[in-house]
Amino acid sequence: MEDKLKAILSGATESIGRAEDAGALEEIRVRVLGRKGELTQILRGLGELPPDKRGAMGKLSNEIKAKVEAALEEKLSELKSSKFSKLLEEEWIDVTLESPGSTARAKLGHLHPISQIQYEIEDIFTSMGFMVLDGPEVETEYYNFEALNIPSYHPARDMQDTFWTEDGNLLRTHTSAIQVRGMEKHNPPFRVIGPGRVFRYEATDASHENTFYQVEGMMVDRDISVAHLIFFMKVLLREIFKRDVTIRLRPGYFPFVEPGFELDIQCLICGGKGCGVCRQSGWVELLPCGLVHPNVLQCSGIDPGAWSGFAFGLGLNRLIMMRYGINDIRHFQSGDVRFVRQF
Amino acid sequence: MWLSLNIVSDMVDLSGLTAEEIAERLTMSTAEIDGIDIMNGHLEGVITAKVLEVKPHPNADKLTLVDLDTGEKNLRVVCGAPNHKKGDIVPLATVGTRFTEEFTVKKTKIRGEESEGMLCSEKELGFSDDHSGIMVLPADTPLGKPLSELRRDWFDRRLEIDNKSITHRPDLWCHEGFAREIGAIFGREVKDPVDMSLEKTFKSEDTLKVEIENGEAAPRYCGLHMKNIKIAESPDWLKARVTAIGMRPINNIVDITNYVMAEIGEPMHAFDRKKLKGNTILVRMAKDGEAMTTLDGQEHSLTAQDIVIADASGPIALAGVMGGGMSEIDDSTTEIVLEAANFNPVNIRRTAGRYNLRTEAAVRFEKSLDPEICPRAIVRCYQLIKELIPDAVAVTPIVDAYPEKAKKVNVQTSFDFIRRKLGKELEDGEISRILKALNFNVNGGKDGIDIEVPSYRATKDISIPDDIVEEVGRIHGYDNITPRAPYVPCEPPGKNEKRAFERRVKEILVQDAGLVEVSNYSFVGEDLLNKLGVNEDRELRLKNPLSLEQDRLRRGLIPNLVKNMELNQRYGDEFRFFEYGRVYYKKERSSKDLAVENTRAAGIVYSRKATGPLYYRAKEAVTILLNRLFIAGFSFTQASEKLPPYAHPGRTARLLIGGKEIGFVGELHPAVMNAFDVRGAAAFFDIDADALLAAGSGRGRFEELPRYPDVPFEVSVLAERRDHAGNICAVARSGAPEFVKAAEVISVYEGAPVPEGKKSVSIKVVFASGEKTLETAEVDRLQKAVIAALEKKGYKLR
Repeated sequence: MEDKLKAILSGATESIGRAEDAGALEEIRVRVLGRKGELTQILRGLGELPPDKRGAMGKLSNEIKAKVEAALEEKLSELKSSKFSKLLEEEWIDVTLESPGSTARAKLGHLHPISQIQYEIEDIFTSMGFMVLDGPEVETEYYNFEALNIPSYHPARDMQDTFWTEDGNLLRTHTSAIQVRGMEKHNPPFRVIGPGRVFRYEATDASHENTFYQVEGMMVDRDISVAHLIFFMKVLLREIFKRDVTIRLRPGYFPFVEPGFELDIQCLICGGKGCGVCRQSGWVELLPCGLVHPNVLQCSGIDPGAWSGFAFGLGLNRLIMMRYGINDIRHFQSGDVRFVRQF
Repeated sequence: MWLSLNIVSDMVDLSGLTAEEIAERLTMSTAEIDGIDIMNGHLEGVITAKVLEVKPHPNADKLTLVDLDTGEKNLRVVCGAPNHKKGDIVPLATVGTRFTEEFTVKKTKIRGEESEGMLCSEKELGFSDDHSGIMVLPADTPLGKPLSELRRDWFDRRLEIDNKSITHRPDLWCHEGFAREIGAIFGREVKDPVDMSLEKTFKSEDTLKVEIENGEAAPRYCGLHMKNIKIAESPDWLKARVTAIGMRPINNIVDITNYVMAEIGEPMHAFDRKKLKGNTILVRMAKDGEAMTTLDGQEHSLTAQDIVIADASGPIALAGVMGGGMSEIDDSTTEIVLEAANFNPVNIRRTAGRYNLRTEAAVRFEKSLDPEICPRAIVRCYQLIKELIPDAVAVTPIVDAYPEKAKKVNVQTSFDFIRRKLGKELEDGEISRILKALNFNVNGGKDGIDIEVPSYRATKDISIPDDIVEEVGRIHGYDNITPRAPYVPCEPPGKNEKRAFERRVKEILVQDAGLVEVSNYSFVGEDLLNKLGVNEDRELRLKNPLSLEQDRLRRGLIPNLVKNMELNQRYGDEFRFFEYGRVYYKKERSSKDLAVENTRAAGIVYSRKATGPLYYRAKEAVTILLNRLFIAGFSFTQASEKLPPYAHPGRTARLLIGGKEIGFVGELHPAVMNAFDVRGAAAFFDIDADALLAAGSGRGRFEELPRYPDVPFEVSVLAERRDHAGNICAVARSGAPEFVKAAEVISVYEGAPVPEGKKSVSIKVVFASGEKTLETAEVDRLQKAVIAALEKKGYKLR
């Protein structure tokens, strides 16, 4: 019996060594350890042995069973790992390639940089309780000039050369026209902004465009002061530039505000030391603003004795040009997707 | 405008102030300073030196070697000028003297001989146009002195004023105005350059009369008749100052009138008295068609809106703009009439514009000058003429026509109002101090103040309390105001649906559909419209277009987008982009009402080597948009009639929402691709965004998730090639409408063995019930019903 057991072990060991896959191992397992397997038969026959040999044989049988099982297990894991080792060789791919077809087609969409900055500014202001307004791009003289305290003979009309349409109207030269419509529609107090496209009769070159974008802003309430205006401008610029920006307010003339200001920011390129961008001055002119002229309030039916306000106009093109170092304003209206895809 | 600090320093003491400091404070309180210029800065490096010896240059005929004594040391320069000789005192530009950005004097060798500097001509120094030889200075000139000291008048610091920043300040178009500002800013006293007491010395002959016909057009005219005039070159100081303000020295009288304009702001004119006909100067409106030749030789045909100065023979000057050629002073002039007048700014502005004569005078008059300056200007001119020509006499008093004296302007306000507007707690005394420094008279106290505005600020600049706020604020300094948040209710702002929708649509097209947003001009031109075959001549025209390509307002987005395609295909084989913008409709192009502005979303998908019709890619983008917006009930129907001319007749669909047309999706007509010389294919979409917004969108109620399994069923039928697969699905659905959850096309196949002109359409029908699991028998029945419906419509099963 002992010989038989040893023969089973050596036979199994040999077959396991020769097995080439998990299926062959399974066959061996069934043949040796299965219900009708060679070793199982022996174990069943143990009862017929004399009691004194039973113990030793039983022990031996169990040892052999354990050895066969271990050999099977070892071979199986050996087979498994050798199978995966071929993955590198057989299933290797070039990870520097792209998904088929996608190299030929940029799949990402891009919002025009003007839209991006416009929405950014809308979000800043709506979060502070400003309403977003709208107005026509083809405007009347009244909304673009008269209602803003710019009568027909006023030299300020020189300052913003205008496109006129054959029907006697004009293309709005500033988003301030939106402001006037806002004042007519809403009773004070109110806080509004009006983003949009504006037009100037101007030959285009790297720094001049006939079509560009502004955001107009206005707040009308009780006792609005220069201090309030400065507060909002500082918040706006901190949010846009993501850091505190040094500003200065100096006198500037715009017929629809009194007092009127030019707001300069300390040059972000040189930090105020003077460079080409700021024409060595250390400052960059960014936005005109001021307290709303009483004539303008009056014109839209708001009592300047009871209410006061501030207004400002922010040019979006210049802001983006400054933020990204764009040197030619004509890119914005070029329709060139290579430009927009950078944003 | 150039501001000469030499001239300013006659009126206010500038000692201890750098040009930078003055420029900085003026920018912050008064007007923008564009730059600082050191006029003739090189004079600091040019010193006087005595010529010790002039020797020929060994290697060059025209050059000489000049040995010089600077008082401190001897040195040698190489010089090409012919005139200087031993003993002369000459200006020597020392090594390191910078004349221009490009030219700095260096120690150098000229034809082998060392040269330590440069001898200068008057032209090189900036004193005149004389370049005939080296300037020779008087024999008693001390040696080694820089010319910036010896010729102090020619060495000046100038500030360049940004003219745009003073359009509202008539008083700032002269040096006196800036002197007053500097005085107020730095707290220094300002001297009046005019000595009005001189008026008493004028004689009282009756040789000049002045009449004003229209007091509104010409509020004031002052004249003065002077004799014993001798026309000559101006003295050095005057030439230097006239040069500093950016003009060319002409002769003593012209230079004085120009100088007085720059100094106190009144444009002056001097007529040759002997060339005037009669004793009376008449200020009147021109007659329509009246002829006049101005000083520049231009002949004009005037209009009744122009103001002229006339003598008995006719116009002698175009008032406020330019003098006439006939009465011009010349070298033989011995008698003059000085003019200082005031004109209506609107008339001057229009006249200057009409004849394209934006002269220094016109630029000032159109700002609303103070009529009170006129007699001051006459006296100041007299004063300077007398200084230059001691024999000159004023034979008449100031002949002054001033029909209606300008009204004094007073402003009533309060200290509190000023504080409230500035948002700064300024003391009453501080406010008064600032206003007084600006020559405003302040009366009153706590209960209110009455402010008398100086005449030179009263013409249009200062009239309301808010103007006073600005005066106080700017001199106090806006940087000294602490920013403060206002106390206001904290509540969400009203929502602008149109704006929010625009943003949503753009974001979907970019983020979900992968399109690039472009922005085009609102303009189009006829050529482009013709090229696309869409020129119906209905676009609203610009009166003043910049070019023929941009002479009218677009009625559609597609034309400019096609141009974008033409541009972009030069750089890429495949791209897709869109624009969200307005187009402008006008029924009657000339009627005064505003154009109707329609917002549209339009785009183009381009591929040079498309596999399969690009229509489907454009449709996909639009479908993504509509689905994301949760717009229900939209459909694409084949459009073969009334198409835009640029649309492919077989590959274009109308987009309908609830049966209403709101746009097109299609491919561009191959003829368009040919016209623009673009290879490949392109599809477009063009949607009325306003209609899309109006169509309403948004999620509906939550739908219970299905509790019973779907049972799919596939069927293939034979159909005519031009049958719409969408119809076949609808027919299939109609077989068992209550149980068909979906019917979709799986594939469409044309070619053998499918007969010519036919196609095989495979569709997948999904059955489901909301109440139970469908039994086999039930499914059989439904399948038969679907097949029956298809067959009834003539679709044979395959």
